[in-house]
Amino acid sequence: MTGAATTGAGLTDADFERFREYFYKRTGIQFTASKRYFVDKRIDASIRNAGFGGFASWFAALRLGDRAELLQDLINQLTVNETYFLREDYQFDAMLNTVLPNVLAARGGHGPVRILSLPCSTGEEPYSIALRLLEEWDRIDDVDVEIHGADIDSDVLDRAAHASYGERSLHRVPKPWMAKYFTEAAAGRYQLDDGIRGAVTLHRVNVCDTASMRAFKDFDVIFCRNVLIYFDELSSRRAAENLYGALRPGGYLFLGHSESMSRISPIFTPTRLPEGIVYQRPTGANR
Amino acid sequence: VGLVRRTTEKAEAAEQLSVDDLLGRLDDADPERRREAALGLDAVAAAVDPLLDRVGAEPEPRARDAMLTTLAAFDLPEVAEGLVVHLASDDAGLRTAVAEAMAAMPTSVPPLMPRLLTDPDHDVRVMTAMVLADLPHPSAVTWLTAMIRDDTHPNVVAAAIDALLPSAGPEHGELLRDAVRRFPDDPFLRFTVEAAIR
Repeated sequence: MTGAATTGAGLTDADFERFREYFYKRTGIQFTASKRYFVDKRIDASIRNAGFGGFASWFAALRLGDRAELLQDLINQLTVNETYFLREDYQFDAMLNTVLPNVLAARGGHGPVRILSLPCSTGEEPYSIALRLLEEWDRIDDVDVEIHGADIDSDVLDRAAHASYGERSLHRVPKPWMAKYFTEAAAGRYQLDDGIRGAVTLHRVNVCDTASMRAFKDFDVIFCRNVLIYFDELSSRRAAENLYGALRPGGYLFLGHSESMSRISPIFTPTRLPEGIVYQRPTGANR
Repeated sequence: VGLVRRTTEKAEAAEQLSVDDLLGRLDDADPERRREAALGLDAVAAAVDPLLDRVGAEPEPRARDAMLTTLAAFDLPEVAEGLVVHLASDDAGLRTAVAEAMAAMPTSVPPLMPRLLTDPDHDVRVMTAMVLADLPHPSAVTWLTAMIRDDTHPNVVAAAIDALLPSAGPEHGELLRDAVRRFPDDPFLRFTVEAAIR
């Protein structure tokens, strides 16, 4: 930590601006000055993790780009991964009660139904979808369902693959489901059943990166909750375009309860369900 | 049957296209291909002119919006100049989409404001209010309050009020009441202000 003009990892205000612009260009994530303390702390951790002596040498190496792990570690530090099983599960109710019947009706009753959770963080969301389907969807025995989880953060994907959770993450999971699908791995830690873990395919992707997102196609349902709020106008627009491209015509997009597509992009059709608003990619017939 | 894992990822099969291929696809008969091409041209400077040439004539909203997303990312004076003409379009979908894109251009759009705020076409000034509603710029509120205070057309004033409301505070109460007094025969404007003040 240096002189009075600096904070945290030794960043001056000018350093912070340069860093902020760089990180935005690489990820689409914008930090306002109000996040300065949070950002400084995480940069400090990234510098220490990589063994650099200070911001200047670390940032130079980061910009040089020949050590991809520097950027990935930074992304891992700066993205927020707080979640838990069955969070905002009224949207899973909507999926079971209305969305999946509509999807099947549109496709003549045949699967596979493809569902994407993005960002999936440490796995709670895609595994919650799996549990709700296995326990509550009456077509699960005759329709194939693919569940995919994706995130920009490689650390959380490793944790999602391991699928071991503490009680805080699991507090909303009914006891019979706990007994059926989880095994106590250590004191207060529970690991999800191999079969469910194996059924969910995990990917690393940045939702704002059109080139990588082109690989995601033909999803019937996407959950993209509580991430667009971190993006500025332009990154939100690009993320919306990429999500649109990942859906089948007629496919459904769920956003977080405090998010609205109406101020981001007009390309989706908002549909009011009893459980709330969901956004649909228009079919060819109406677009 | 049941939960299944996909073993062959489409990620591996994603087509890699050159800039020339993408530029060529801007004229593809399939609107989805045009949409994907426009998005794929992100940060390709050579795509600015071809996109500006096509955006006004693109019949498919999804392809047009993708073109606008890519163009807005440049946030350059020539892009803003190329887009601003569409604020006067007779096509409501086009002018609205362009306004939304311009709201994502906080560097190149503000220099146009003196001209837009005094445009002789009141419909252009209405669209300018829509741009300012979402433009992340420190002067956006100042420009909107100037529109509410000075513009002579009730539709412009109503649009500016609508744009200001999400960021309005008690300090704007008198400005809004003044607007109602200036246009006593406009029930929509009165309703908007009364609903906001309540």
